[in-house]
Amino acid sequence: MRPVEQPVIADEPDTSDIVDLDTPWIVLVWNDPINLMSYVTFVLQKLFGYSNEKATELMLDVHEKGRAVVSNGSRERAELDVYRLHDHGLWATMQQDS
Amino acid sequence: MRRRKQSGPVDVTPDGMFVLNLADDERQSFNHFLDELESLLNQETDDGRLRRLFPTAYHNDALHDAEYQRLMRSELLQSRHTAIEISRRVLDSHDALSEGDLMQFMQTINSLRLVLGTMLDVSETDEAQEIINEDDPNAPQMHLYAYLGWLLECVVDALQNSLD
Repeated sequence: MRPVEQPVIADEPDTSDIVDLDTPWIVLVWNDPINLMSYVTFVLQKLFGYSNEKATELMLDVHEKGRAVVSNGSRERAELDVYRLHDHGLWATMQQDS
Repeated sequence: MRRRKQSGPVDVTPDGMFVLNLADDERQSFNHFLDELESLLNQETDDGRLRRLFPTAYHNDALHDAEYQRLMRSELLQSRHTAIEISRRVLDSHDALSEGDLMQFMQTINSLRLVLGTMLDVSETDEAQEIINEDDPNAPQMHLYAYLGWLLECVVDALQNSLD
Protein backbone atom coordinates (compact mmCIF):
# COMPACT_ATOMS: atom_id res chain seq x y z
CA MET A 1 0.00 0.00 0.00
CA ARG A 2 1.27 3.37 -0.87
CA PRO A 3 1.44 5.83 1.94
CA VAL A 4 -1.10 8.64 1.83
CA GLU A 5 0.52 11.79 0.45
CA GLN A 6 0.25 14.74 2.70
CA PRO A 7 -0.96 17.92 1.00
CA VAL A 8 1.70 20.57 0.66
CA ILE A 9 0.74 23.98 1.91
CA ALA A 10 2.32 26.53 -0.34
CA ASP A 11 3.04 30.10 0.67
CA GLU A 12 0.64 32.68 -0.72
CA PRO A 13 2.32 34.44 -3.64
CA ASP A 14 3.23 38.08 -3.10
CA THR A 15 1.12 39.98 -5.63
CA SER A 16 1.71 43.43 -4.24
CA ASP A 17 3.93 44.49 -7.11
CA ILE A 18 1.88 42.99 -9.92
CA VAL A 19 -0.06 45.49 -12.01
CA ASP A 20 -3.65 44.50 -12.66
CA LEU A 21 -3.77 44.42 -16.44
CA ASP A 22 -7.56 44.39 -16.49
CA THR A 23 -7.91 47.65 -14.62
CA PRO A 24 -7.90 50.55 -17.07
CA TRP A 25 -5.76 53.63 -16.65
CA ILE A 26 -7.20 57.10 -16.51
CA VAL A 27 -5.64 60.35 -17.65
CA LEU A 28 -6.31 63.40 -15.53
CA VAL A 29 -5.85 67.07 -16.40
CA TRP A 30 -5.28 69.30 -13.39
CA ASN A 31 -6.24 72.92 -12.87
CA ASP A 32 -3.47 75.47 -13.08
CA PRO A 33 -3.47 79.26 -12.96
CA ILE A 34 -1.52 79.80 -16.19
CA ASN A 35 -3.25 77.96 -19.02
CA LEU A 36 -6.10 79.87 -20.64
CA MET A 37 -9.55 78.29 -20.55
CA SER A 38 -9.97 78.69 -24.31
CA TYR A 39 -6.58 77.06 -24.88
CA VAL A 40 -7.41 74.04 -22.73
CA THR A 41 -10.75 73.59 -24.52
CA PHE A 42 -9.10 73.80 -27.93
CA VAL A 43 -6.34 71.32 -27.02
CA LEU A 44 -8.89 68.78 -25.73
CA GLN A 45 -10.86 69.12 -28.99
CA LYS A 46 -7.77 68.79 -31.14
CA LEU A 47 -6.11 65.88 -29.32
CA PHE A 48 -9.16 63.76 -28.56
CA GLY A 49 -11.62 64.83 -31.24
CA TYR A 50 -14.14 65.99 -28.63
CA SER A 51 -16.93 68.35 -29.64
CA ASN A 52 -16.68 71.92 -28.40
CA GLU A 53 -19.46 71.18 -25.89
CA LYS A 54 -17.71 68.10 -24.49
CA ALA A 55 -14.30 69.81 -24.34
CA THR A 56 -15.83 72.88 -22.66
CA GLU A 57 -17.54 70.63 -20.10
CA LEU A 58 -14.21 68.91 -19.29
CA MET A 59 -12.38 72.24 -19.14
CA LEU A 60 -14.97 73.59 -16.68
CA ASP A 61 -14.60 70.46 -14.55
CA VAL A 62 -10.84 71.08 -14.47
CA HIS A 63 -11.37 74.75 -13.61
CA GLU A 64 -14.09 74.29 -10.99
CA LYS A 65 -13.36 70.86 -9.48
CA GLY A 66 -9.58 70.96 -9.83
CA ARG A 67 -9.25 68.04 -12.24
CA ALA A 68 -11.06 65.96 -14.85
CA VAL A 69 -10.61 62.57 -16.47
CA VAL A 70 -10.03 63.26 -20.15
CA SER A 71 -9.26 59.75 -21.44
CA ASN A 72 -8.81 56.15 -20.34
CA GLY A 73 -7.49 52.85 -21.66
CA SER A 74 -4.39 50.71 -21.52
CA ARG A 75 -1.25 51.94 -19.80
CA GLU A 76 0.46 52.50 -23.16
CA ARG A 77 -2.51 54.50 -24.44
CA ALA A 78 -2.62 56.59 -21.27
CA GLU A 79 1.12 57.27 -21.43
CA LEU A 80 0.80 58.47 -25.01
CA ASP A 81 -2.12 60.74 -24.09
CA VAL A 82 -0.18 62.17 -21.14
CA TYR A 83 2.78 62.84 -23.42
CA ARG A 84 0.58 64.64 -25.97
CA LEU A 85 -0.99 66.75 -23.22
CA HIS A 86 2.44 67.60 -21.78
CA ASP A 87 3.60 68.51 -25.26
CA HIS A 88 0.78 71.06 -25.36
CA GLY A 89 1.66 72.39 -21.91
CA LEU A 90 -1.23 70.92 -19.94
CA TRP A 91 -0.66 69.50 -16.49
CA ALA A 92 -1.67 65.84 -16.96
CA THR A 93 -1.05 62.70 -14.91
CA MET A 94 -2.13 59.07 -15.18
CA GLN A 95 -3.14 56.44 -12.67
CA GLN A 96 -4.99 53.14 -12.52
CA ASP A 97 -8.71 53.56 -12.12
CA SER A 98 -9.83 52.63 -8.60
CA MET B 1 -7.12 78.82 -15.63
CA ARG B 2 -7.59 82.36 -16.79
CA ARG B 3 -10.55 83.94 -18.55
CA ARG B 4 -9.60 86.53 -21.16
CA LYS B 5 -11.40 88.82 -23.55
CA GLN B 6 -10.87 88.15 -27.22
CA SER B 7 -9.71 90.30 -30.11
CA GLY B 8 -7.04 89.54 -32.55
CA PRO B 9 -4.18 90.00 -34.95
CA VAL B 10 -4.70 86.64 -36.69
CA ASP B 11 -6.86 86.46 -39.80
CA VAL B 12 -8.30 83.34 -41.40
CA THR B 13 -8.17 83.37 -45.20
CA PRO B 14 -11.07 82.01 -47.31
CA ASP B 15 -8.97 78.95 -48.21
CA GLY B 16 -8.39 78.02 -44.57
CA MET B 17 -4.91 79.50 -44.15
CA PHE B 18 -3.88 82.07 -41.53
CA VAL B 19 -2.26 85.49 -41.68
CA LEU B 20 -0.33 86.87 -38.73
CA ASN B 21 -0.64 90.65 -38.49
CA LEU B 22 2.29 91.45 -36.24
CA ALA B 23 4.43 94.56 -36.67
CA ASP B 24 8.11 94.09 -37.48
CA ASP B 25 9.22 95.25 -34.02
CA GLU B 26 6.83 92.73 -32.42
CA ARG B 27 8.31 89.97 -34.57
CA GLN B 28 11.84 91.02 -33.57
CA SER B 29 10.95 91.09 -29.88
CA PHE B 30 9.32 87.70 -30.17
CA ASN B 31 12.43 86.27 -31.79
CA HIS B 32 14.39 87.52 -28.80
CA PHE B 33 12.00 85.69 -26.45
CA LEU B 34 12.53 82.54 -28.51
CA ASP B 35 16.31 82.92 -28.06
CA GLU B 36 15.83 83.09 -24.30
CA LEU B 37 13.52 80.08 -24.23
CA GLU B 38 15.92 78.07 -26.35
CA SER B 39 18.84 79.00 -24.14
CA LEU B 40 16.86 77.91 -21.08
CA LEU B 41 16.01 74.58 -22.72
CA ASN B 42 19.67 74.01 -23.63
CA GLN B 43 20.82 74.20 -20.03
CA GLU B 44 22.34 70.99 -18.72
CA THR B 45 20.94 71.28 -15.22
CA ASP B 46 17.32 71.19 -14.06
CA ASP B 47 15.91 74.68 -13.89
CA GLY B 48 12.82 75.39 -11.78
CA ARG B 49 11.52 77.78 -14.44
CA LEU B 50 11.03 74.78 -16.76
CA ARG B 51 8.99 72.81 -14.21
CA ARG B 52 5.72 73.28 -16.12
CA LEU B 53 7.29 72.26 -19.43
CA PHE B 54 8.31 68.86 -18.04
CA PRO B 55 5.63 67.88 -15.52
CA THR B 56 5.29 64.60 -13.66
CA ALA B 57 3.21 61.92 -15.38
CA TYR B 58 2.49 59.45 -12.58
CA HIS B 59 0.56 60.70 -9.59
CA ASN B 60 2.25 59.55 -6.34
CA ASP B 61 4.37 56.96 -8.14
CA ALA B 62 7.99 58.12 -8.25
CA LEU B 63 9.31 54.86 -9.72
CA HIS B 64 7.07 54.86 -12.78
CA ASP B 65 7.48 58.59 -13.17
CA ALA B 66 11.26 58.27 -13.30
CA GLU B 67 10.84 55.69 -16.07
CA TYR B 68 8.46 58.01 -17.96
CA GLN B 69 10.89 60.94 -17.64
CA ARG B 70 13.78 58.77 -18.83
CA LEU B 71 11.86 57.72 -21.94
CA MET B 72 9.86 60.85 -22.77
CA ARG B 73 11.77 63.90 -21.56
CA SER B 74 14.10 63.94 -24.56
CA GLU B 75 11.07 63.58 -26.89
CA LEU B 76 9.41 66.54 -25.21
CA LEU B 77 12.59 68.58 -25.42
CA GLN B 78 13.00 67.82 -29.12
CA SER B 79 9.37 68.71 -29.75
CA ARG B 80 9.80 72.08 -28.03
CA HIS B 81 12.93 72.82 -30.09
CA THR B 82 11.03 71.95 -33.28
CA ALA B 83 8.16 74.24 -32.28
CA ILE B 84 10.64 77.09 -31.68
CA GLU B 85 12.27 76.50 -35.06
CA ILE B 86 8.90 76.60 -36.85
CA SER B 87 7.91 79.68 -34.84
CA ARG B 88 11.02 81.47 -36.14
CA ARG B 89 9.93 80.68 -39.70
CA VAL B 90 6.41 81.93 -38.88
CA LEU B 91 7.83 85.23 -37.58
CA ASP B 92 10.27 85.67 -40.47
CA SER B 93 7.62 85.19 -43.14
CA HIS B 94 4.68 87.37 -44.12
CA ASP B 95 3.11 84.60 -46.18
CA ALA B 96 -0.09 82.79 -45.24
CA LEU B 97 0.45 80.06 -42.65
CA SER B 98 -0.79 76.49 -42.54
CA GLU B 99 -2.80 75.27 -39.57
CA GLY B 100 0.13 73.06 -38.54
CA ASP B 101 2.57 75.98 -38.43
CA LEU B 102 0.14 78.15 -36.47
CA MET B 103 -0.38 75.25 -34.03
CA GLN B 104 3.39 75.08 -33.43
CA PHE B 105 3.50 78.86 -32.93
CA MET B 106 0.59 78.52 -30.48
CA GLN B 107 2.47 75.87 -28.48
CA THR B 108 5.56 78.07 -28.32
CA ILE B 109 3.55 81.05 -27.05
CA ASN B 110 2.10 78.75 -24.40
CA SER B 111 5.56 77.47 -23.45
CA LEU B 112 6.74 81.05 -22.96
CA ARG B 113 3.70 81.77 -20.80
CA LEU B 114 4.32 78.66 -18.70
CA VAL B 115 7.92 79.70 -18.03
CA LEU B 116 7.00 83.33 -17.33
CA GLY B 117 3.99 82.36 -15.21
CA THR B 118 6.21 80.04 -13.16
CA MET B 119 8.82 82.79 -12.71
CA LEU B 120 6.13 85.25 -11.60
CA ASP B 121 4.47 82.61 -9.42
CA VAL B 122 1.12 83.45 -10.98
CA SER B 123 -1.90 82.37 -8.97
CA GLU B 124 -5.55 81.92 -9.89
CA THR B 125 -6.61 84.99 -7.93
CA ASP B 126 -3.67 87.15 -8.90
CA GLU B 127 -5.28 90.49 -9.66
CA ALA B 128 -1.91 91.79 -10.82
CA GLN B 129 -2.51 89.94 -14.06
CA GLU B 130 -5.29 92.38 -14.92
CA ILE B 131 -4.00 95.60 -13.32
CA ILE B 132 -0.22 95.92 -13.32
CA ASN B 133 1.43 98.11 -10.71
CA GLU B 134 4.14 99.98 -12.62
CA ASP B 135 6.19 100.31 -9.43
CA ASP B 136 6.45 96.53 -9.17
CA PRO B 137 9.96 95.38 -10.18
CA ASN B 138 8.28 92.55 -12.13
CA ALA B 139 6.09 94.96 -14.12
CA PRO B 140 7.94 94.41 -17.45
CA GLN B 141 7.55 90.63 -17.15
CA MET B 142 3.88 91.04 -16.17
CA HIS B 143 3.28 93.16 -19.28
CA LEU B 144 4.93 90.48 -21.39
CA TYR B 145 2.84 87.79 -19.70
CA ALA B 146 -0.33 89.76 -20.43
CA TYR B 147 0.74 90.33 -24.05
CA LEU B 148 1.45 86.64 -24.59
CA GLY B 149 -1.95 85.79 -23.09
CA TRP B 150 -3.67 88.17 -25.48
CA LEU B 151 -1.75 86.83 -28.48
CA LEU B 152 -2.43 83.21 -27.48
CA GLU B 153 -6.13 83.97 -27.15
CA CYS B 154 -6.13 85.43 -30.67
CA VAL B 155 -4.36 82.41 -32.15
CA VAL B 156 -6.68 79.96 -30.37
CA ASP B 157 -9.70 81.96 -31.53
CA ALA B 158 -8.56 81.78 -35.17
CA LEU B 159 -7.82 78.04 -34.95
CA GLN B 160 -11.11 77.41 -33.17
CA ASN B 161 -13.02 79.22 -35.92
CA SER B 162 -11.38 77.02 -38.52
CA LEU B 163 -12.36 73.94 -36.48
CA ASP B 164 -16.06 74.86 -36.27
